Amino acid sequence: MTANLLELNEVRKDYRIRKYGRIVRTYNALNKLSFKVKKGQIFGFLGPNGAGKTTTIKCITGILKCDEGTISIDGKNIENNDFENKNKIGFLPEQVGLYRSLTAIETLKFYGGFYSLSDSVIEERGKKLLDILGLGNSSKKTVNEFSLGMRKRLALATALLHKPEILILDEPTSGLDPRGVKALRTLLLDLNKEGLTILLSSHILSEVQELCTDVGIIHNGKMIRQESISKIIETVEKTAIKLSLRVNEFNEKSEKLLQKKKGIEIIEQNNLGKHQKIILKLKEDLIPWVTDKLVANGLKIFSIEPHNTTLEDVFLTETEEDNGS
Amino acid sequence: MDLREKATNRWKENYTWQPLLIAISIVIIIAIIHKAHWEITTETDPLSVWNERKMIENDNMTTITYNDQKLLNKTITFKGVLEIFPYTNTSIGSPEQSNGTFDEMDGLVYNENSYKKCMISLNGMRILVNGSLDGKFYKNEVVTVDATLIERNFTYERNGATIELESQIWEAEINDITLADERDYYFFGIEFIIFAIGLYFSLNRIKNLKEQMSFAKHIALFEFKRGLKTPRMIVLGLIFFVFIVGMGMLLGQLQNDSDSILGTMTAKGSIVQLSYFTFMIGSMVAIGVSVDTFHKERQENTMNLLLARPINRETIVLGKALGLTLVVGIPALIAQIIGLYFMITEGEIPPIGSMFAFLFFGQVMIFTMVTFQLCLAISARSGSSVVIYGLSAWLLFALVWALVVIAMATVIGVDINGENFENDPDYQQFASRIGLLNPGVIYQMVVGLFTSRTLAVDLEGVPGWLALLSVVLWPLMCLRTATWLFKREMKG
Repeated sequence: MTANLLELNEVRKDYRIRKYGRIVRTYNALNKLSFKVKKGQIFGFLGPNGAGKTTTIKCITGILKCDEGTISIDGKNIENNDFENKNKIGFLPEQVGLYRSLTAIETLKFYGGFYSLSDSVIEERGKKLLDILGLGNSSKKTVNEFSLGMRKRLALATALLHKPEILILDEPTSGLDPRGVKALRTLLLDLNKEGLTILLSSHILSEVQELCTDVGIIHNGKMIRQESISKIIETVEKTAIKLSLRVNEFNEKSEKLLQKKKGIEIIEQNNLGKHQKIILKLKEDLIPWVTDKLVANGLKIFSIEPHNTTLEDVFLTETEEDNGS
Repeated sequence: MDLREKATNRWKENYTWQPLLIAISIVIIIAIIHKAHWEITTETDPLSVWNERKMIENDNMTTITYNDQKLLNKTITFKGVLEIFPYTNTSIGSPEQSNGTFDEMDGLVYNENSYKKCMISLNGMRILVNGSLDGKFYKNEVVTVDATLIERNFTYERNGATIELESQIWEAEINDITLADERDYYFFGIEFIIFAIGLYFSLNRIKNLKEQMSFAKHIALFEFKRGLKTPRMIVLGLIFFVFIVGMGMLLGQLQNDSDSILGTMTAKGSIVQLSYFTFMIGSMVAIGVSVDTFHKERQENTMNLLLARPINRETIVLGKALGLTLVVGIPALIAQIIGLYFMITEGEIPPIGSMFAFLFFGQVMIFTMVTFQLCLAISARSGSSVVIYGLSAWLLFALVWALVVIAMATVIGVDINGENFENDPDYQQFASRIGLLNPGVIYQMVVGLFTSRTLAVDLEGVPGWLALLSVVLWPLMCLRTATWLFKREMKG
């Protein structure tokens, strides 16, 4: 059984609004948040805006201190082992800020200095990382001359310099061009193959689906779902699947017929010229009933295909359900 | 949660600093014993005894006695601030003084017996010393005097009639006078050792202290290299350099000019004055270079990347404070040395101790102002707030402090309408004590203190040790506040 590298247990975090030093208001960002990331996983951390993703990451990286609960890395509480744990973490924030007057190599030397790495080691590892990240020719350029994407890649190099055990990425692809996104994806998969555990927070669900083995969905500061991607999709599909139908004419009579039937929901209707496309949400065993009834009503069915459930569907379903409850 | 539980939790939270807190508590207890020791073994308020004195004048008889008859022939150890009467350190016995005139306050008639004797004033109490204090004791030094109340008989002329004078006078030998610091040093020594032990054990409790110190050095050097290159520092440094060197030269020249607008300058006065100018411009540069440190980092998002490294927030503040102090301090030190050189070549050489204090505490003062500004930079919410706070602090400490003191003195009832109110002892005492709230005034006090040979000096109402303690406490308090404010951000 693979051990947990990162474990959050009932973490609570409140933000305090101060006026003249006095707390005038507090609001809850994380509410008994618990989840685990196993060694070697690429863990996708999903949630709508304001769900608490960045706050969670800040608590894990020690930028913020949680009010209640525990955060452990490799079984050790970060509160008592701050130094040791931070040595195991590589962090890439969403908004990358680097000292503009430094060159790429100087930046690496500055941040590498906090891991007791000698200049020669930093230089050697740094050059290798810059090459991998496509910044090999820009090592002597100042950050000021870098584009946003280049800065992000340089920040990633600083996060990887000390060979961390877990890499925490907050919206890593924002600001990167498609080539940069692809290069990053390849790099992350390569690093993962070498044993690096990755926690990835992103709002680009396709990216998470493509990269991650497991996901956690956070909403209103709570983890509402944590499973492998395939399992999550399977569960949702069991509940209801989407069916895409192409018919000659979707008339009012057929529409009323479907609406009346319990367990069927019409999600979308599109006029494609000669044909019409209808997307239904329904339980799998109702598919024969739908086709029989539509044909009996005189409709011609040109195609019928299940609509693949994406992580986006899961994400929306889960967060909607949570809102509803 | 009740108060006891809260206190217990707070105590546990401060595990690292527990030894230091215990040591400080012990130091406070020793300080109380120190104070009690003086109260028990000496009369620390000579004026209260002096006020018991009464003079009765009859037709041909004048008597000066004390209400408490038991005082006669009794030896009491008095402790107080030494004033040599009449404010110069000359001996009685010159032809002008030995003319048989009766001095009511001194309680004696000057005659040939007063030759080579000296009348001192200890917190306003007159004591006749058998010998000259020339070169042995100086004005404003805190001393103890074992004085004995002796009855003496004199005769003097009044309106042609011979008057008998029976006067009780406090008298002492030169050997009966000692600097108060001889006893103070035992207490200060013990207090310092206990504090150092507490600090040592607390530092030992800091996890990865060695690494954190190396990180502080790493950040300090980074800030130093970065800071020196900024155009702001180049401009401010140049102004600083020209100003201090120029003022040093001017103050040296003024020592030879009795009509100068700054009054007749002595070497000691010049170096204290130069320390004021150093503070005035040094604090401006210190605030100028550190004005946007934390705020700008927050704006440019450089802080999060730093905070995720294995470095404590305290180390970040310490590293930045040290780095920015180096940025201002090294050019300042060069300017101070050159300014001092010109002051000495144009005028006289001030005491070595004061030159050391001028240079060393100049660096401490810069560190204080940097950390003070860091507190403002951490707590301010916008860039303009940081600038306004910094500028206000500089204006208050360096330029308008004297006006603020006058305004406050008026509020507490000191009459500032009289001529030369600055020489009013009440005003001077108030100004000195309130000056402990201003790092610039403390810097001047300490430089002034080091022109003396002892810490047992009264700086117009502030004991020398308190000035020295303040100059150490100010940067420590600012640093602690800055780290506390910075750590508070962690709580969100």
